[in-house]
Amino acid sequence: MQTNFTEVQLRDPAIQVADSILRSCVHCGFCTATCPSFITVGDEDDSPRGRIYLIKEMLESGSAASAPVAFHLDRCLSCLSCMTTCPSGVDYMHLIDHARTHVEQTFRRPWHDRGLRAVLAAILPYPARMRWALRAAGLARPFVGLIPQRGVLFARMRAMLALAASERVVAQGVGDVTAQTVHPAQGTRRGRVLLLAGCAQRVLDPGIHAATIRLLNRMGVEVVIPQAAGCCGALTHHMGKHAAFVAQAGATIRAMTDALDEETDAIIINVSGCGTVVKDYGFALRGEGPDLAGKAAKISALAMDVSAYLLKIGYQRTRPESGLTIAYHAACSLQHGQKITDAPKALLRQAGFRVVEPRDAHLCCGSAGTYNILQPEIASSLRARKLDTLTALSPDAIAAGNIGCLTQLAGAGIPTIHTVELLDWMAGGPCPAGLKS
Amino acid sequence: MIALPAPNPATLARRDALVAGLRKILPAADGVIADPVRLKPYETDGLTAYRQMPLAVVLPETTEQVAAILAFCQAQNVRVIPRGAGTSLAGGALPLADAVVIGMMRMNRILQIDYADRYAVVQAGVTNLGITRAVEADGFFYAPDPSSQLACMIGGNIGMNSGGAHCLKYGVTANNVLGVKLVTITGDIIELGGTHLDAAGYDWLGIIIGSEGQLGIVTEITVRILRAAEGTRAMLAAFSSNAIAGACVDAIIGSGIIPVALEFMDRPAIHACEAFAHAGYPLDAEAMLIIEVEGSADEQTAMLERIKEICSAFAPTSLKISQNDAESAAIWKGRKGAFGAIGRISPDYLCMDGTIPTSTLPQVLARIEALSAEYGLKVANIFHAGDGNLHPLIMFDANQAGQMQKAEAFGADILRLCVEVGGCLTGEHGVGVEKRDLMKVQFTEIELDLQRAVKSAFDPDWLLNTAKVFPLDRLPARASLPHAA
Amino acid sequence: MIAPDSEAGFAAAIAAATAAKTALNLTGYGSKAGFLRPVVAGETLSTRAFRGVSLYAPKELVLSARAGTPLAELEAVLAESGQQMIAEPPRYGFLGGDGVVQSLGGIIACNLSGPRRIAWGAMRDHVLGVRAITGRGEIVRSGGRVLKNVTGLDLAKLLTGSYGTLALLTEITVKVLPIPEATGTLVLHDLTPARAVAALSAALGSPFSVTGAAYLPERAAAAMGYDRPVALIRIEDVAASVAYRLQALRQQLGRYGASALLDQAGSLAIWQAVRDATPLAVGADTMIWRVSVAPSQGPGILERAQSLGLDGYLDWGGGLLLLAGPATQAAAAALSGAVAAVRGGWWLLRAPESLRASLDAVPPEPAALAAIRGRLQSAFDPAGVFTPGKLHAA
Repeated sequence: MQTNFTEVQLRDPAIQVADSILRSCVHCGFCTATCPSFITVGDEDDSPRGRIYLIKEMLESGSAASAPVAFHLDRCLSCLSCMTTCPSGVDYMHLIDHARTHVEQTFRRPWHDRGLRAVLAAILPYPARMRWALRAAGLARPFVGLIPQRGVLFARMRAMLALAASERVVAQGVGDVTAQTVHPAQGTRRGRVLLLAGCAQRVLDPGIHAATIRLLNRMGVEVVIPQAAGCCGALTHHMGKHAAFVAQAGATIRAMTDALDEETDAIIINVSGCGTVVKDYGFALRGEGPDLAGKAAKISALAMDVSAYLLKIGYQRTRPESGLTIAYHAACSLQHGQKITDAPKALLRQAGFRVVEPRDAHLCCGSAGTYNILQPEIASSLRARKLDTLTALSPDAIAAGNIGCLTQLAGAGIPTIHTVELLDWMAGGPCPAGLKS
Repeated sequence: MIALPAPNPATLARRDALVAGLRKILPAADGVIADPVRLKPYETDGLTAYRQMPLAVVLPETTEQVAAILAFCQAQNVRVIPRGAGTSLAGGALPLADAVVIGMMRMNRILQIDYADRYAVVQAGVTNLGITRAVEADGFFYAPDPSSQLACMIGGNIGMNSGGAHCLKYGVTANNVLGVKLVTITGDIIELGGTHLDAAGYDWLGIIIGSEGQLGIVTEITVRILRAAEGTRAMLAAFSSNAIAGACVDAIIGSGIIPVALEFMDRPAIHACEAFAHAGYPLDAEAMLIIEVEGSADEQTAMLERIKEICSAFAPTSLKISQNDAESAAIWKGRKGAFGAIGRISPDYLCMDGTIPTSTLPQVLARIEALSAEYGLKVANIFHAGDGNLHPLIMFDANQAGQMQKAEAFGADILRLCVEVGGCLTGEHGVGVEKRDLMKVQFTEIELDLQRAVKSAFDPDWLLNTAKVFPLDRLPARASLPHAA
Repeated sequence: MIAPDSEAGFAAAIAAATAAKTALNLTGYGSKAGFLRPVVAGETLSTRAFRGVSLYAPKELVLSARAGTPLAELEAVLAESGQQMIAEPPRYGFLGGDGVVQSLGGIIACNLSGPRRIAWGAMRDHVLGVRAITGRGEIVRSGGRVLKNVTGLDLAKLLTGSYGTLALLTEITVKVLPIPEATGTLVLHDLTPARAVAALSAALGSPFSVTGAAYLPERAAAAMGYDRPVALIRIEDVAASVAYRLQALRQQLGRYGASALLDQAGSLAIWQAVRDATPLAVGADTMIWRVSVAPSQGPGILERAQSLGLDGYLDWGGGLLLLAGPATQAAAAALSGAVAAVRGGWWLLRAPESLRASLDAVPPEPAALAAIRGRLQSAFDPAGVFTPGKLHAA
């Protein structure tokens, strides 16, 4: 597609990247068909192709982002379904990341929007704050009926309380296994990995890390948790808050780098939303000085989703077949962001489950980080659509590799369980809490 | 560049009042788009070479809303541009400055599926593939399969009478539609056809389908759904020259075999598509055929054996029969993503769509090659070999001054060539705005006048999709430009 | 009667008629003169002297011929290359048997298709291009000689099935296909119309590419030598495929009771009869209807027709009914009413003169469409000289 950047604009390396991405788009429109927001809203402006066009106009003009542009870019889930579909190989992810930063830097949002984003960015990446916030939300829950029915702000408040009061069943009394740095391998050590402890998942479902560590240890893998590695920065990254992202990602990268040794096989991530961002550190931080950029690239190269690692080292079940049917929900960050599609299903089959998949598996469930809080209407429509297709399969449980999806899809009468918990169970671990009830 | 009619100053001057009037019909907050930033992505479709901002965009959700919008626009003497998914490669959905774009994408529901009588009733904004997806679990499919079938909408397929790779056996859109709900410019809702074959009286469906939005807006469509064959299998046959591959096509058809699909790709097309689909296309070949047969496993094998034997006489550089559904799917993924895949080797392209008598293929390809050298622009050729529909993809760089104009001229030369050898300007993409001025190459003024008169019978004030299909120079008096307010 | 032997001759005759406002009855050999409504015309303009194949490219599956070319002549040319007309145009027996000559132009103008329509499309689906002459005496072309063509408005489709009320077709280009190597038929016995249509739907909903699906009730079956009603299902393809698919279908349709297979000769004979309306019992004062409905509505319409004293048979999987019976105003009104109620269409192919003039021979149009049709006819034929009254009352 034709672009109209001036020579001066093209001296900016970031604009150069954006220009080459824009030029690779031939505007064929295939992406519209698999874009969850376009399917829900039915407006070109809410399709990948429409957003690419909005971004092109915004960047070419060189001026501040306008309210309509911010509005439509905010409605993008960053699910990256469009990238799986695109025949031209348009790098939409890096384009929208760039645009989000531009919006954040040049557009002043309404006070309540700014406030909410600031609150989310100040709480979610910090486990202690998040625990406190969940308790507070639990106290506020009885008053949800007092929130007015109309208005974006109130819809978001209701969405937040609904998520905080998730009916999802999680393992109790697990404690924070991530407080311990080294989890030694059982038997002969076959490998050594670092595990990203992260943030929100630790609080929402500590059993996932516990299962990951148990399973890996049992398979002879030493798991090391660098204590200073916290949030990966995905949340602020997707809000376009670049400085905060650099700070968070930088801290995590340095902590990870310090913990690396020559025998480290991989950096294991069991939240696919984080995994997509960590795998992109090398690109996202390329301009942050040679030291950090170099380390970032190395961390990205070592990052691996837990499913890919398990498949690589050879997972085997030890318990007899459960006879359960598991609906595998492909998290977008895993299927589109990391292009990991078969590994989790293959593992679940090896674990003796009957694996089924919903229709339109490429569509997002609406979780998408903080999207379900910031865009509650579209998110709840996508959730309903996804649950319709999942319940049609009558599964015993829904498995996914991303805590956001697990939370988003909870409360419909089908347990939502992290893939690794099911794998751990069939290899000798405890039955996942969700299945016991 | 293509000329667009001067906008009606009276319409532009009343913009705010018109938008307010449209908002009364579509009260939903985002049903009417008038903000210039929001309008921008609607200024073009799959043919980005042409761009024009519209007056407004409306996104109706019901047939009645469409009728109210059209009645309003006629009363206000405002032009109307229908738009589906905006995948037209001919600029079929290009707006005008004084026109309201009616986007059909919110009308995306499948209303009824009837397997006993083998039809489905769908709204215009349902995607082509969406119909097949809805019935494939029961073994059925909707036959026309344009390459953009993932995204293109059935309403747009009606507009362009879209074809696809499988029309040799299953026909194009016009052969697979039983009925439509047509909204006229007067706001009347007319049901044409029904759930039966061959409506009595004039073949209204026949003239509506492929009319490029010139006659009315179709909001609901009753399509035939067909039971899929027991299975299909694709085969790749590679050859050392375009001419040899062309001769092989002739031999296959001449033998009495009608494969369900018979596709031709030349070297540049093979390379671009392989990079996208990883389907195992032969990168060393000059030309390649995708041949698909259907039936039971035994039937497929028997048919492929016969075809293999025919191909063998043309010294193929390779012959490969897909071994499973995944391989067949990969072969088709490459072909269906071909246009987009060109984006990997060129920032811009123009896709031509002429049809030629199949026997003239070698001659036409040689001439295209010569033109390519003359213009200094590369071209990749994709060809529905079974039915003669040729898609030369002219590659250029719109950021280089003059290249777009050169590509346009090259394209026009190719289309003139298609007509000269006994073919036509467009086989399945439609005339749109792109080939509008070439209509005189194919038709006499008398013939064009008759077509214009047919349009006038439906749309006396020429408000529907104005400036498409018909050259601007001899529009009827009532549509003289800028038209009277 | 005027019968020019060149396009120029037609153009001159038409221009003169338009100037004199003399209505013309456009015709070939006159075989379908009794179809639909009576035409009041001062002159008859025939294509019978304008005949012959002008282009035939077997490898491109394309044939062009002048409008007056007899169908039989055309089919003979095609057969020499092992090809045929795809839509199986009928030679209705009630037109007068073997002596009657039908022109290509007539078949196209009436859009008549046989049993294969259900699988491979109607005549209108195979018309690639036409040359025609408007009421102004101007020669126009639409479409062309290639298989895929969406250039401009598709006037060829509009003219196909317009019964000579818009323009005179002078030359037509059609898509043709190879004659299948083998033809076989599965016969199901003694089914009620509803069960028979269910069986035909199952066959057409099977993956076996059925190219004919008809049902002959008792009387129609008797006319073909069967002592019970029969449902007929046809497969055409290479011999091995025909054998395999008939067996597969037979198994799949086992729940519909006993069945038999017809060999090649038997198949060709019975489908020719279905194509040509041979099973219809036709007398001098009979009215004949051709009705198109959704297949599942076929049995209901048949029952209604029988209650009105008509009888006939079902083709196109139950969706096409050919019906004949005593002509009365009341029966005609009741039958067309029943078809309209299920949103179907009809052609009153033949009826006594008095009845034809007072009936809708095809379904009436809504007012908005009738207005468009009026303007459309003026566009083609400003003086209204072409076959007036044939489709709709003037």
